Amino acid sequence: MPDNLSGRVVVVDDDEDVLDSFRFMLELAGFSVATYVSAPLFLANIPPDPFCLIVDHQMPVMTGLDLVARLRDSGSGVPVVLVTAATSPAMIAHAARVGVRQVLQKPAREADLIAFVASCR
Amino acid sequence: MTGETAIRPQEPADTTRSLLDTIVASSNDAIIGKTLDGTITSWNAAAEALLGFTAAEVIGRSIQIIIPPDRVEEEDAIIARVRCGETLVHFETERLTKSGQRVPVSLTISPVRDAQGAVVGVSKIARDLSRLRQLYVDLKERQELFLAVLRTVPDGLIVIDARGIVQAVNPAVERIFHYATDELVGRSLNILMPEADRAGHDRYLAHYLATGERRIIGIGRVLRGRRRDGTTFPMELQIEEVSTPGHRLFTGFVRDLTDRHAHERRLAELQADLIHLSRLSELGQTVSALAHEVNQPLAAIANYASGMRRMLGPDAAPELLAAVDKVAAQAERASRIVQGVRSLARKGDRPRRPEALRPVIDETAELALVGPGRDVTLTVRIGDGASHADIDRVQIQQVLFNLIRNAVQALDGRPVRRIEVATRRRGPMVEVLVADTGPGLPEEVRSRLFQPFLTTKAEGLGVGLSICRTIVEAHGGEISAGDRPEGGCVFTFSLPAFEGGTNAPTGAPVAMDQ
Repeated sequence: MPDNLSGRVVVVDDDEDVLDSFRFMLELAGFSVATYVSAPLFLANIPPDPFCLIVDHQMPVMTGLDLVARLRDSGSGVPVVLVTAATSPAMIAHAARVGVRQVLQKPAREADLIAFVASCR
Repeated sequence: MTGETAIRPQEPADTTRSLLDTIVASSNDAIIGKTLDGTITSWNAAAEALLGFTAAEVIGRSIQIIIPPDRVEEEDAIIARVRCGETLVHFETERLTKSGQRVPVSLTISPVRDAQGAVVGVSKIARDLSRLRQLYVDLKERQELFLAVLRTVPDGLIVIDARGIVQAVNPAVERIFHYATDELVGRSLNILMPEADRAGHDRYLAHYLATGERRIIGIGRVLRGRRRDGTTFPMELQIEEVSTPGHRLFTGFVRDLTDRHAHERRLAELQADLIHLSRLSELGQTVSALAHEVNQPLAAIANYASGMRRMLGPDAAPELLAAVDKVAAQAERASRIVQGVRSLARKGDRPRRPEALRPVIDETAELALVGPGRDVTLTVRIGDGASHADIDRVQIQQVLFNLIRNAVQALDGRPVRRIEVATRRRGPMVEVLVADTGPGLPEEVRSRLFQPFLTTKAEGLGVGLSICRTIVEAHGGEISAGDRPEGGCVFTFSLPAFEGGTNAPTGAPVAMDQ
């Protein structure tokens, strides 16, 4: 696992405890992490060098898919993994349309997350 | 022409004779005298007026000149009977005028006798029937027109007399009660009601006739009608009194309420389904929200355990490593339990089958536009490859009903009141759009519209958009709201498409870890 990544892994989730646990897990795996408690907060403070996003789908105000759609509209092609407690064919189709690279069932396994993040380098 | 010139008395005048002459001369009926061989002997002023010949022109000539050729035999038969002393009264036939036109006449023909009582001639009194005939024709025409108008009345119209005996009915009555007109005329109105209601009706009518107090007269009542085959149906009966000199009649207007009642019953059924479903959905929603809420700490636990495992490294105490692994395993186990409960709640769903969307939309729209939506224009457009979906019909009707009702509410007081329902194909899904020309949704409302536990006003039949979302997601679809560029808002939800038994593959490269 590389220790000197230039960019950060961005995590967006409406649950502070979940954000903290992601940070703990990912930092111990050697990544630098930026966390945001809502999609609008992230959009207002986009860090200069994100190399991938871990986004919760079910969030109030703006869903994970809406966030990705907004990013794509602004021309960003940053790789995204969507984490959600409830998946459906329509949601997966929607995710594919807006360019989500992977959809993971929540809680996601560490191995899957690390593999995704590592593949985005 | 005066009476003196018209009448040529054959006998010297005495007082009686001149009196008779005066009567004959001044009669409105044509009076013609003739001999038994048919020679005209007298011809009064009314005869001149009716037939156009003057007395001078016809006296001494044969009666044949005023008899149509096809009536000659008839005349001969009449003369033969009169010769035997018989008098014919009001015999209807025709005569010819001077200009050759036929005139309908009513004849009274009597023998004329001499002093010895022998029949020597014939007196013929002819009454002009043409005016009467014309009156009759006019009356008949007006009656036809009146009846034709009555035939166009969509409600049943029954005319009864004071005893409740049917005098006339219009064709709508035949249609409503399945009786032929002649099966009803002359019978009591009673037969159009179930037996249990008959006595009551008789009492009402008797009460009104006796007291003039209105209980049904002039007031519409909803009661049961009885068809010819004995089946009953709801009808509205309004009875009005018609009084004309010498007649006391009543008109009953009958409206068949079967359709309206069926419609109301369907609405009530839908409402009951809706309430039942909303309870089920609340349960499903609770479970779904619970799953989400519990999954969050489980995700955190799994992440922390993973981090700790990495932190400890391979050289840590085996008991500690095993314990951390067990924490992660227990978190996964809890997560599986939550998933299990969730899928259990989903199993309560009713079976889905392929349905044509057009009738589903049409039926729901009809129900949803009742009342305040009456003057809303609703159009339906079915897109290519978007005609069928694999759905629970009743559940999707709830979603459509809810969205259309919301749209109707949004159109309140708007100048343009239009709703468009459209379907379109999107990959494996069919999207259904419900768009209105209302004021659109404020941003802050839109972002929270479908959130669970966020109660939206439960107005009328509305069960809330969160339940729409639950239903749509249970179908594997999504629901969203947005503004239309041309104003108003549009709700979009997706359903699994159906195409000859196979759903089109998604075609999009998406990995999913279950």
